[in-house]
Amino acid sequence: MDDDPGVTRPAGLVIDAALELLDRQLVDSDDSLAGKVDDLELTPSEDDSHVLYVTAILSGPGALGPRLPGRLGRAWSALFDRLHPAEHPEPIRISFGVVQSLGPRIRISMSRHHLGVNSFEHWTREHIIRRIPGSGDASQ
Amino acid sequence: MKRLISVTLGILTAIGGFVDIGDLVANAAVGARFRWNLAWVVLVGIGGIILYTEMAGRVATLTKRATFDIVRERLGPRMALGNLVASMAVTFLTLIAEVAGVALALELATSVNYLLWIPMAAALVWLVIWRVRFERMEEVFGLLGMALVVFAVAAWRLVPSWGDVVDLATHPHVPTGEGAPTYWYYAIALFGAAMTPYEVFFFSSGAVEEGWTHKDLVTNRANVFVGFPLGGALSLAIMSCTAMVLAPAGIGVDHLSQVALPVAATLGRLGLAVALLGFFAATFGAALETGLSLGYSVAQYFGWPWGKRQRPVDAARFHAVVLVALMIAAAVGLTSIDPIKVTEYSIVFSAVALPLTYFPILVLANDPEYLGDQTNGRLRNLLATVYLVVIVAAAVAAIPLMIATKGGG
Repeated sequence: MDDDPGVTRPAGLVIDAALELLDRQLVDSDDSLAGKVDDLELTPSEDDSHVLYVTAILSGPGALGPRLPGRLGRAWSALFDRLHPAEHPEPIRISFGVVQSLGPRIRISMSRHHLGVNSFEHWTREHIIRRIPGSGDASQ
Repeated sequence: MKRLISVTLGILTAIGGFVDIGDLVANAAVGARFRWNLAWVVLVGIGGIILYTEMAGRVATLTKRATFDIVRERLGPRMALGNLVASMAVTFLTLIAEVAGVALALELATSVNYLLWIPMAAALVWLVIWRVRFERMEEVFGLLGMALVVFAVAAWRLVPSWGDVVDLATHPHVPTGEGAPTYWYYAIALFGAAMTPYEVFFFSSGAVEEGWTHKDLVTNRANVFVGFPLGGALSLAIMSCTAMVLAPAGIGVDHLSQVALPVAATLGRLGLAVALLGFFAATFGAALETGLSLGYSVAQYFGWPWGKRQRPVDAARFHAVVLVALMIAAAVGLTSIDPIKVTEYSIVFSAVALPLTYFPILVLANDPEYLGDQTNGRLRNLLATVYLVVIVAAAVAAIPLMIATKGGG
């Protein structure tokens, strides 16, 4: 594609987004695991060069649903909409501006607690795990 | 001492693969029925699991990424979800069997019906996962599982001549009175048990839990090369015991109590007590391995925080998966379902899960972006490819053979 004279090479980093971003592990500023790159937000460039820019990483079950095939994907998304407390739930959106480094793990410069509420995590923590004695101690 | 302790991850992993409840009975049953004619399968299985676990461990050591993380990245969300469902089914069926297996071992020791022990066994397994440090857990159950060495002692006492045994084992044939499909069905069952996917999930996650780094590549290799041959040797010892004591008498094996018969006959009460301790430790260890593996694989698919290093509130979803899995496993166990049958049926799901688990490991073990100069050499790739072909062949043949032989009947 770089050799195609009809396409202007965009400014910024050029990567194969499907290969080097999708389905990789996110790691937050506290070094803890913060979900997967479940989908990407692509925005067309403002001039008419037909170049797409990756502007955000989408994460969580809301972003995964549309990537699963056919009926399974639709059922997944329907379940997410049904169980999510918000009226029109959106997947967690991580602006590409906070991405620190790419590689086997994608490092972001925020804590995962500030990424947006993961309702499933919140529910299991508050309703199950926190009620069991010892939930605040690491087992070592 | 440090070296001895540091291979306990490999030992505990191997116990779950070679001498968990299903395999204790399967090895004994195969020995009683086929004598040494299937011993070669165990050796083939040891080779395969060593090869692939070493790769998965190497990737985990150098990248801090355990197996299911890699499966998702390389196969994409759709195929990886198929693998997740299939391998969770195998692992969960095995967990049901292990919880019941711990209860059966306690029944043999106390004569209290195993159904009464099931809730207690599940609660104890959960408590260990909730409270006990990872390294301590593998030391205690890995080393206690070594009590099964009593089968090797019994075999040593029983054997008239090792030359004859080696001769029999190296010239395998389908025994008269057995059909070839039944022979091959058991061969695949033994091979599948050696290569079960939760072993690589557990081992690679354990490497991350223990915080292995570049200098632990030796530890990785030591764990793999000590643990699996040891697990395989225990399984061969059990097979040999029943081949020498039960096969001549025409006694078949379909219950845990019959597995210990040769030990009781040769070494008396003390030997029996040690064997029961070994049963308890091995099934308990396998329950820990499968319970944790369920949490590991789901968490790694979705990218959740996981592991025993975290405070449970920081890995809430991981701990919730383990807790719910153990509760359902105990509930299913209480229906008095036969735990041995349950592990036999899990082979069907292994058929789907095995190629989809081992293929991404092989691909990543060749990726210099991840492993730098530690990628596979040519010989290793050749062997791994041969094994992948065997795994696929076994996967394809498993279900038709199961139907044709009515589950090895």
